[in-house]
Amino acid sequence: MTQSRHMGADNSEKQNKITRREPLITKDDISGYLFVLVAVLFFLVFTIYPLVSAVITSLQLYKPFGSDFVGAKNYINTFQNALFWKSLRNTLVYTAIVVPISILFSFVIALMIMPFNRKLQSVFKAAYYLPAVASGIALSVVWLWIYDSSPSGLFNQLLTALHLPVQNWLGSSKTALLSLMLMAILSGQGQNIIIYTAALLGIDNTYFEASQLDGATFLQNVRYIVFPLVRPTTLFLLVTGIIGSFQVFMNAYMMTGGGPNNNTTMIGLLIFNNAFKYNKYGLACAQAIILTIIIAFISFLQFKLAGSEVEY
Amino acid sequence: MKRRLSVALIGFVTVSMLAGCGQSASNGTSASSENSEPVTSAASTAEVAAGSSASSGATDTITVMVPPVTNDYADKMTEWADEFHTKYPNLTLEVINTSWDDHNTKLSTMAQAGEAPDIAELSYSNIGTYVSNGTAVDITKYMDADMLKDYDQNALDYMTLDGATYGLPLYITIQALGGNKDMLEAAGVDVAKVQADGWTYDQFLSAIKAGTKGDTFGFVFANSGVTASDFINIFGATAGITNAFDSNLKYTYSGKKMLTLLQAIENMTKSGYMPNYGVEASQRMVMCETGNAMIFGKAMPLFENSIKKNNAAIDASDGSAVEDSKKITYAFLPVPTMDGVSESCFGTVDGMVAFKNNNSTDEHLKNVMTALYFLSSGERAAYVDAATCLNGVCQTSRDAISQFESTDRDQGNKDCADRLISEVSAPPTGMTADQSAAAAQMMDEVIVPQMQALLAGETTAQDMYDAIVSAAKDAFGEDGCVLD
Repeated sequence: MTQSRHMGADNSEKQNKITRREPLITKDDISGYLFVLVAVLFFLVFTIYPLVSAVITSLQLYKPFGSDFVGAKNYINTFQNALFWKSLRNTLVYTAIVVPISILFSFVIALMIMPFNRKLQSVFKAAYYLPAVASGIALSVVWLWIYDSSPSGLFNQLLTALHLPVQNWLGSSKTALLSLMLMAILSGQGQNIIIYTAALLGIDNTYFEASQLDGATFLQNVRYIVFPLVRPTTLFLLVTGIIGSFQVFMNAYMMTGGGPNNNTTMIGLLIFNNAFKYNKYGLACAQAIILTIIIAFISFLQFKLAGSEVEY
Repeated sequence: MKRRLSVALIGFVTVSMLAGCGQSASNGTSASSENSEPVTSAASTAEVAAGSSASSGATDTITVMVPPVTNDYADKMTEWADEFHTKYPNLTLEVINTSWDDHNTKLSTMAQAGEAPDIAELSYSNIGTYVSNGTAVDITKYMDADMLKDYDQNALDYMTLDGATYGLPLYITIQALGGNKDMLEAAGVDVAKVQADGWTYDQFLSAIKAGTKGDTFGFVFANSGVTASDFINIFGATAGITNAFDSNLKYTYSGKKMLTLLQAIENMTKSGYMPNYGVEASQRMVMCETGNAMIFGKAMPLFENSIKKNNAAIDASDGSAVEDSKKITYAFLPVPTMDGVSESCFGTVDGMVAFKNNNSTDEHLKNVMTALYFLSSGERAAYVDAATCLNGVCQTSRDAISQFESTDRDQGNKDCADRLISEVSAPPTGMTADQSAAAAQMMDEVIVPQMQALLAGETTAQDMYDAIVSAAKDAFGEDGCVLD
């Protein structure tokens, strides 16, 4: 009797649960899934599929009409290739110099244009952003003229006016990589400046009013107020800057072709040459996967080391 | 209602996106960038008459990708496509025009995707790469033997790897030196004798020494970037290196002749008779036209046309002449020879190569051969040969060339070019696709970068030679290299 009463209670509870249970997928859910469907499909088709395809190709001797599986041979060849290590070193040096200087440079420029009124700020932002609007090819042609090794080159004319010897800017191992770095630093800051300006505009004025009462100097304001509050922006620029710098390709391709003596051959250029010059897609994919792992590891380290101190 | 509209819009966007990915392979070659839009012959395939002279009479479209081989090559190709369609009504030629800058990259990308054009213009040195990846087609399997008999064997050998022929030669270019005839004579050079009999390296050094005065260099060679390879290829003949492989199929750039050549280059760069900075390809002839250089390289016979055009522009004073240029007389010159070396000339063959793609069937490839021969022979080849001041490489071109040839060519230049063409030696027979591809990579990854350092004075001839030998041993094995 007791048991049957218990059973009766259980059944009614179950019944209640059944009647109260919400459907697994509601109409609202369907709408949501449909809205993200396009983005997910784009992600699958243009990110995941190429990535998986690249991994598979990296294990093959690629041929358009039937590839041969070669296992890890492309990876082994990459690690045994002196040019790969040289291009990795060139890319690291390029990144280590260009990214911090670029961030510092754009931070200083953003600080300098902040005191101006909105209109003047826009003029400066537009001026610094202009190279980003110009085609990279057009930009390279201009820089090729600036770096022209003959006495008629712009920089060489400047050196001649200063009674200094002309330089073989892009043809000498001593100056070629530096020339590419200078080009990147001087012509690629527009976006960083705009992002820093937006971050600076987001700082509440009350901080500066309080520091003014305390008698803080401009540099103290920068050190103790501005710098900590734009740290998330700095981290963002650092991560995206390093990723972009590791993938640098066009400067070397257009300006030096990787020379002289492969001193400006970056990993991006090496991958391009293997894929499109020597038709070694498998090797190029293996190198691209290695580059992806390096970039992912460095980005992870940055978030781990610098990200913990960042407050959003 | 709003929700239905949202769903409909999402569905539309999704379908549109996927539709973009669903282009059939057959349309692949038609999707081209601005400068590579296909130009189809005027008559559509729908108007094709029955009973054509092509292989089976079924309609077929053949894609051809070409850079501007001559200034008006794109226009000419359109004309020839129409002509071809008239002759073979069931066949249509679809032309993809490219620029010299992007031609090889575009071809490589299309070939790797299995969407190569059926025919593409290609230098013989690049064929090995496409043979290795299985996209180049051995034309002897599909082409009538009579068509192949039209061509000089020497020129056909360039298109042949490991016994298989992958295309038809269009022309043999000869690359040597050019100069300002008046300045050369003022420097004591007997131009006519040099053109007729050649000259020694010592005579050449004396000439460039005498020609170096003030702002004028005795000798300028385009050496900036990848053009550094031209220096090796063209001046290789000076030291007796005519090809990357000898008749025993051993890699020659690792031999002592290479060291002799590198030492000569080192000597010339240090002498001050050449600029000590990188010279862009476009600057070399300009320097000669402005009086800043006496001899320049690389030079080809067709430069006579460019210089005459500039002379005419100076006379016309219409502003189209090279800035600060002077009227000059062009002299085409052989490269000098070192002791114990007989004169030869660096030559390269460009031709029309047949490719396999996703659409290829035996029937289609037979039609491709018809188009390949049509474009590489007769009046089409003669037109190119005349425009480039070169001799034909097939009999039907030589028969037709008189109607295109310019009558005002300098006889000394013409005779010199004719003489040097006969001195070009074809690559050795039996060379494999892998050897060809490895030699091309050696040039790009080792020789050119080292050469740039040598020209910049940052390495020595001996160090560069050692680096080449080391890399050659890795690439071809000790048995595969000349190590004398």
